Amino acid sequence: MAYSTPHEPASFHAEHVTPVATLLKAYAALITLMVITIATALAPHYVASEFFNSQIGSVFNNLVAMTIAVVKALIVLLIFMGLRNGSKTVRLYAVMGFVWFLLMFIVFADYGTRQWEPVRGWEPIAPGSMPRQRGSSEPDIERTPAPPPLSTIPGP
Amino acid sequence: MSSLAHESTKPEGVFEQFETLDQQQDTYMIGMWAFLVTEVMFFGVLFLAYAVYRWKYQSIFYEVHNELDLLKGGINTVILLTSSLTMALAVRFAQLNDKRGQLRMLGATLCGAFGFLVVKSLEYSAKFQHHHFPGPDFRWEDPTVPASVAQLFFSLYFAATGLHGVHVIIGILVISSLAILVARDHPLVKGDYIPTEMIGLYWHFVDLVWIFLFPLFYLIPK
Repeated sequence: MAYSTPHEPASFHAEHVTPVATLLKAYAALITLMVITIATALAPHYVASEFFNSQIGSVFNNLVAMTIAVVKALIVLLIFMGLRNGSKTVRLYAVMGFVWFLLMFIVFADYGTRQWEPVRGWEPIAPGSMPRQRGSSEPDIERTPAPPPLSTIPGP
Repeated sequence: MSSLAHESTKPEGVFEQFETLDQQQDTYMIGMWAFLVTEVMFFGVLFLAYAVYRWKYQSIFYEVHNELDLLKGGINTVILLTSSLTMALAVRFAQLNDKRGQLRMLGATLCGAFGFLVVKSLEYSAKFQHHHFPGPDFRWEDPTVPASVAQLFFSLYFAATGLHGVHVIIGILVISSLAILVARDHPLVKGDYIPTEMIGLYWHFVDLVWIFLFPLFYLIPK
């Protein structure tokens, strides 16, 4: 065990010193990914739109942009922030932050189902209209009789 | 009695409540990560609000996002990624007890942080001039795009990048304080790389937030 560590006068020696080459490689990867993500976003009809309709293309383009962002985040977390060499407890804390963050997205269960249980102020807006004011005397929305088929749920 | 025996064999610099140096340093890292978890939640609500309205107004957000200056956003991304690299190098120099290298890299990180704020302020001033700051002065000319949604987009933009900018300013304060302590050989930081590593974690987190803000606001696909 570490009890037998020799005395080092007030000096804390690091166990995991990341080599400069690793840091530079991570940096090069981050810059490359940034260039790729800009290039794909600037080409409006790249890959996806050629093969799919515009709605699937939009989902695909969003997925590409977010996947690249997540990969960049992982590079920063693992190499720059040293999670690769971190202890299990430190890694657990890091993972928990993002687990909590993802749990917040359960709120989409509310927003995604509001078309079946209409809520005042959340109806589709007309171009140029202003959001409805609180306490306005407009009548309540009528409840829709039956849920629409799944295929009509609006995509992103 | 065994605890007394342990203390006598503990390496120097290990406090009473810890068994080993590893355990002690892990505790610092866990504390910093616990703080970063709260930061994830802090920014998380903004990302969540953004996600809700982006889902609702994808095509309108695409039209509005063309008003943002992609070049300045890209420059800021490069600046932040570079300052993250120099911060990682500063931690490395601190671990190797190289004071000069550490101070140089902290200085480079500070330059990056100031550069980011300069570019950001240029971007903000252009938005103010075009009356794109949400509020009574907000003006929107394009009749095909609802002004209320454009204002919503800019509200999210200013809230998210503004909060991020505040974090950059805090980063400048913290990193410059660290650099002053290191330059003066203050006992808090002398021969101890942990303060540098913890501030490094904070700075990488600021970079991490921008990694998501950049594609979400500047690179909305059609």
